[in-house]
Amino acid sequence: MIFAGIDIGSRAAKAVIMNDSQIIGSTIQDTGPESIKTAYATIKAAMKEPGLTLDDIDYIVATGYGRVLVPFAADNVSEISCHARGINWYYPSVRTILDMGGQDCKAINCNEEGHVTNFVMNDKCAGGTGRFLEMIADVLEIPLEEIGELALKSSSEIPFNTICAVFAKSEAIVHLRHGVPKSDILAGLNEAISVRCHNLLKKVSIEKDFTITGGIAKNTGMVDKITKKIGLEPLLAEDPQLIGALGAAIYAREKYHGKETGSDMRIQYGYNDATGDYFITIDTGKCNGCGECVCVCPSDIYEINPDENGKNVSLVKGSARKKLSILCPGAGNCNGKGKGNCQTICPENAISLSW
Amino acid sequence: MTKTIGIDIGSLNTKAVILGDDGILGIAAGPTGDNVEADARKVLDSALSQTHLNLDNLPVVATGTGAKLVSFSPAQKSVNTCLARGIHYLYPSVRMVIDMGAESTTVVKVNPRGKLEDWANHDKCASGTGLFLQQMAKLMKMSLEEMSELSLTAKSRADITNTCAVFAESEVISHVHRVPPTPMPDIAAGIYYSVVSRVIALCKRIGIEREIAVTGGVSLIDGIIHSLESELGFEVLRPEFPQSVAALGAAIIAKENAEKSQK
Repeated sequence: MIFAGIDIGSRAAKAVIMNDSQIIGSTIQDTGPESIKTAYATIKAAMKEPGLTLDDIDYIVATGYGRVLVPFAADNVSEISCHARGINWYYPSVRTILDMGGQDCKAINCNEEGHVTNFVMNDKCAGGTGRFLEMIADVLEIPLEEIGELALKSSSEIPFNTICAVFAKSEAIVHLRHGVPKSDILAGLNEAISVRCHNLLKKVSIEKDFTITGGIAKNTGMVDKITKKIGLEPLLAEDPQLIGALGAAIYAREKYHGKETGSDMRIQYGYNDATGDYFITIDTGKCNGCGECVCVCPSDIYEINPDENGKNVSLVKGSARKKLSILCPGAGNCNGKGKGNCQTICPENAISLSW
Repeated sequence: MTKTIGIDIGSLNTKAVILGDDGILGIAAGPTGDNVEADARKVLDSALSQTHLNLDNLPVVATGTGAKLVSFSPAQKSVNTCLARGIHYLYPSVRMVIDMGAESTTVVKVNPRGKLEDWANHDKCASGTGLFLQQMAKLMKMSLEEMSELSLTAKSRADITNTCAVFAESEVISHVHRVPPTPMPDIAAGIYYSVVSRVIALCKRIGIEREIAVTGGVSLIDGIIHSLESELGFEVLRPEFPQSVAALGAAIIAKENAEKSQK
């Protein structure tokens, strides 16, 4: 039996092909402007080594930002679930995952079966994402692959006051003009980013068996800083960038064999910025999908949609996630449309707000 | 007869105001470069040259991010206090100031005596700041003025969901390349709305008051003011020199201090 997982990320597209027991093909490519073309190119590249065609693959699962635009995939699963499942294949003991991708950063908790139990995501701000590092590499005129090694050579790092990609870029330019070594600038930025990652991880629980996935996990300078900041040595997979696609391939195998993949999780939507912490936590285990929250919300930020297991649950709309502090006045100040707010109206107490 | 100097050393520009008993005697502005002290002196000299005065015998109050970096001013005051005092001098009826600068946005509540009552600010990231707008104008290959004029002709508004300047940039690019492409005026209006919605959220944090005055470099952009007024539902006041209000406030505080010590 042959299974494949394809992960169309915001910056890179990945594919993994497996037989019943091992990985037989994989690839990492740039995500192009046309998702469908990217999907075909990626799966073709991964099939080249084992010499397969699409007809040989029994089941394909897609994940990542572009997962709905993969025409040959039988199903799609969120990248959060895939990262948990993928790392579980390498290290079943891992309970905390930091996924550092091209345009977002996620902290995930999972159980011994690789099911997500809690997660928080920051996709509101480019600080600490692959995009940020690309911008900095560009300013410093160093290939992206080399910035990790270079940062390790730093002797006196430059403190950065900001995590904002735009501010950091102009700060870096000023330092460059003053003749500060590039390694010291990079080390300073990595330090600032590691603080941010640590804060994100604190929102879930940090367990001893911890890993970093996503493209940035290949950046040795960054991994070094995060290791020091958290005080735990991450269990890194052979290629951390492939973990999402690997998880998707494992889902493909499970789905083919008709195995029900269910788990309840707490999902934290939101971010923190200069003005405070804005997180809405929805416990999908408790949520019964009644839709009361959708009805009472004056800013219309909720929707009811099926989760991975087909269960109808409440979600925060994608368009609202990055603007919570603007759209939502917070549970204390909101009386919904007169009947109470989402937190008080929920019959299962599944919703909580941090502000 | 007291004459005083207020200087506001911002992250991008330095502003100086020389105040006499009958009003502003000299006013100047210039970029803040690597050598803060020298740049501040240059701006100060240019303001002084309008007045026949020299620095030696005049009381100075400095404000802004670079206030600590200059040697000629022992007295410092926070920008928020200076903004409140400056706006009270110009418009005694104003109860709220929205200061939109290059790298930060600050909202200040002013009491009827010109004292600072409450404030909120955003300075941790570029979203909603002048730098964000500059970057967007560059992306759309036009000047800030051109973009502002364009936005006023918009028939509808492009939806810019990202607040992060980096992500918003990709969103704008995708609007341009959409089939059919989103009209440029609508994109400009969308960008302004994203800034304004952020500013209004900041105002709401301390409670929106009337009247409102706008200051800072971003307030010179008509498109922003237009968008702000239509969201607020009423008109806002914009001083003649919106970038120099904090410097003016600093000069007023210098004057108050000088008069106090004379008594």
